[in-house]
Amino acid sequence: MSRPVSAPGKSIIERLNFFTALALGALSAIVVWRLSLAFLPQDAESARIFSREDKITLLSMIAWFVGFMTGIGALVGPFRWLMGKDLSHDENMFLAGKDMGVTRYFRFTTDHKVVGIQYLIITMVIFFLGGGLAMLIRTNLGTPEGGWIHAQAYNSIVGTHGILMIVGTIIMVTGPFGNFIMPIMIGARDMAFPRLNALSFWLIVAAAVPLLWGQFIGGITTGWSAYNPLASQAPLGMDGYIMYICIFAISTMVAGANITTTVVKMRAKGMTWNRTPIFIYGVVASVALALPAFPVFFLSQVLSAFDRALGTSFYNTALGGSGWLYENLFWIMGHPEVYVILIPAVAALMEMAPVFTRRPLFSFNVAVMGIAGISGLSVLVWAHHMYISGWAPLLNAPFMLTTELISIPTGMLFLVLVGTLWRGRLWMTMPTMSIFALLWNFMIGGVTGIYLSDVPADAFLHGSMYVTAHFHYTLMGAGLTGALAALVYWFPKMTGRMFDKTLSWVAFWLVQIGFNIAFIGMFMVGLAGQPRRVESYAPTFNTANMVTTGGAYMIMIGMLVLLYGTISSWKSGVVAPMNPWQAKTLEWTVAYPIPLENFDVLPTVTTDPYGYGKAQS
Amino acid sequence: MSDVMTPKAPQWWKKPDVKKTAILWVICTAVIGYVGVEFHVRNMVRPASETMSGIISLMRIFTWAAAPVAGLVGAMCITVLTSKRHYGDTPPPEADHEIRNSPRATALWVSVSGLLCIFALIGGLIVLQKDNAAILENNAIEINVTGQQWVWNFDYANGARSEDLYLPVDKPVVFHITSVDVKHSFWVVQMGIKMDANPGYTTEAAVTPDKIGVFDVRCAELCGLLHAYMQTKVHVVSQADYEAWLNNHAQSEKGA
Repeated sequence: MSRPVSAPGKSIIERLNFFTALALGALSAIVVWRLSLAFLPQDAESARIFSREDKITLLSMIAWFVGFMTGIGALVGPFRWLMGKDLSHDENMFLAGKDMGVTRYFRFTTDHKVVGIQYLIITMVIFFLGGGLAMLIRTNLGTPEGGWIHAQAYNSIVGTHGILMIVGTIIMVTGPFGNFIMPIMIGARDMAFPRLNALSFWLIVAAAVPLLWGQFIGGITTGWSAYNPLASQAPLGMDGYIMYICIFAISTMVAGANITTTVVKMRAKGMTWNRTPIFIYGVVASVALALPAFPVFFLSQVLSAFDRALGTSFYNTALGGSGWLYENLFWIMGHPEVYVILIPAVAALMEMAPVFTRRPLFSFNVAVMGIAGISGLSVLVWAHHMYISGWAPLLNAPFMLTTELISIPTGMLFLVLVGTLWRGRLWMTMPTMSIFALLWNFMIGGVTGIYLSDVPADAFLHGSMYVTAHFHYTLMGAGLTGALAALVYWFPKMTGRMFDKTLSWVAFWLVQIGFNIAFIGMFMVGLAGQPRRVESYAPTFNTANMVTTGGAYMIMIGMLVLLYGTISSWKSGVVAPMNPWQAKTLEWTVAYPIPLENFDVLPTVTTDPYGYGKAQS
Repeated sequence: MSDVMTPKAPQWWKKPDVKKTAILWVICTAVIGYVGVEFHVRNMVRPASETMSGIISLMRIFTWAAAPVAGLVGAMCITVLTSKRHYGDTPPPEADHEIRNSPRATALWVSVSGLLCIFALIGGLIVLQKDNAAILENNAIEINVTGQQWVWNFDYANGARSEDLYLPVDKPVVFHITSVDVKHSFWVVQMGIKMDANPGYTTEAAVTPDKIGVFDVRCAELCGLLHAYMQTKVHVVSQADYEAWLNNHAQSEKGA
């Protein structure tokens, strides 16, 4: 029997897609905008300037959000459930994108593989935009006396670059690979909550519009940290930032609950915790850290919105609030968040290390302990961002202690990686060299982190370009390096084709060399005393800034090569065998194209996936 | 019989790759320590206070403490990279062992990183203690620092006010720092002190300048449109010059 097509009229589920979502989102935003313009009372004399405009902007953005999510079909399931009739089998199959071709990528599709590809595309878009803004920043800093970008626009570019890259790096591993690869790797048919999975992706799309919108109504002039009271004095673009963060925080919480449940409840028969691949640990640690962190981020921005639009004073010292409250809320999210980015990237490389050295992972238990130790400590270190804020000088010593303790579990990750490389049979691929690149970059990022963790040294380095270079070494030098290796490694499973080898090497060397040139230069100006987020600087810093700008252009060329490699390999690369790397994790036991629900018969696991090497006689 | 057939494995420290790594370790440690220290010290500003000299020697010590660890990782990587490499589309033959852990190596690694951690902490605490004590100095000069978008104002005990900071050499100073609008950060670059200026609160920072000259004050916290231009100079002068400037300035204030 052929697929039952509801001939007279398609059901509502089948009609909704990305374009109806855009239309409904835009329509409801416009309606609410006109209504609030007409009916909102004028501000009282005493009110903060622009308070009414803030209300109108925020209401319109919320209307956009609700309209978009309704239009994409996120509410169909809950609505049906309220009406007492759940989705039928056919409707569920339709939602999963069964036999739907390319259109399923533009709908509220629940198949984890579709969501994984969607995440991959949106990550690439975010990096393209964020990278473009980085190039504007670096070009503007080519000359000391402020460039051709207006100071206000420059500040907005810095802030937007920051928040785009933070979001991009948060989702770059757990989004594409955590969604596409992880369920297959643990031998599951899908995620635990497929509809929440689709929801988490489309929330990110919905969040993008307020951020773009914000660019046209004054921009995000506060840097990505959006400190108050600067944020309450900032133009209306700040409301775009607030909405963006709130929606993204929901997405992260939803994804976190979903991934954690999937891993805890749905691992294949026989996959005990000792036999669970280390990448899974990395993904779970990452999203589990996001679970306590992002509600706080959400809260911090809601209070910020109240201060702007409703005239409250949570962050206004003169009226009884405190800017330090914002700083605490922000960094309680902000420090776990860097490990949300870092851990899955390192874990992905740990997963690849045994494959490309043909020997077992060195000290699986230490790897798990390292990941657990970092996760545990990372929620106790936030105030090292506030050593010199004056908030609580007496707490500097204890926070210095917790911060420096993190070097112990971080050292464990190093031990596992070098231990696995040691006496391996090195198979030279781009992911293999990425392990070495990560060790190099992360060592620099880590050791500079020790200087910064030290209160007296931080009194000099804080707020300087040195800090900027430090966190780029950890998040980009270590994090992005791991994510790019993961792209090349899992590309055959996700697209059915091999990533072009030459292009992967060219991109690797351009990015890594460019990266080190750019950020060594940035360390130099930081040490010489150049503050962060400045659009002009003393002429003595010019040479090193030129070096950084040159390195940045090299990174850009490398990333463009990588983008070209991705597109061309996806379209016309060499068709990949089922298991091109001869790896032993479960995702390599299913052939491309992977069917809906992945496995005909669910696998049973009897050993861990690191049985490489041969015993000595 | 089989004892004769398989030659006894050499003790681990006699294996060629271990020897190679050991030599590389010494070289890497020396190179990393030297380059790391020189990179920081040469690029850093010349110190104009004991606080800043303290920071520089702290970074020197930390770099040398981290060098053996970084050196070991580097040495192992070089050994691996210079051993037999396999290029090609199919995997190389399996490695000739299946070692999954080494309790001894792990224990050693973790205890060394623990010790280094304690070392770094103690080093930091000693310097921190000194800096904190400076704020309680009794006979220090007290100066009120006020940040506002986008200038610094300095108020002296005799009522003088300036936008350039004037300090006498070798006398302890305590700054009381605040802001009238948004958050700024008061950074006296060459003296190695920085403290945020928060609206509604007063924070403290202390330093003793030990060099006569002109140094930089910059804002280190994004504070809006002209953040990059929120900088001024600090003039460290002799005690006599300082008093003369202070009297002059107070008089001209009165006269105006």
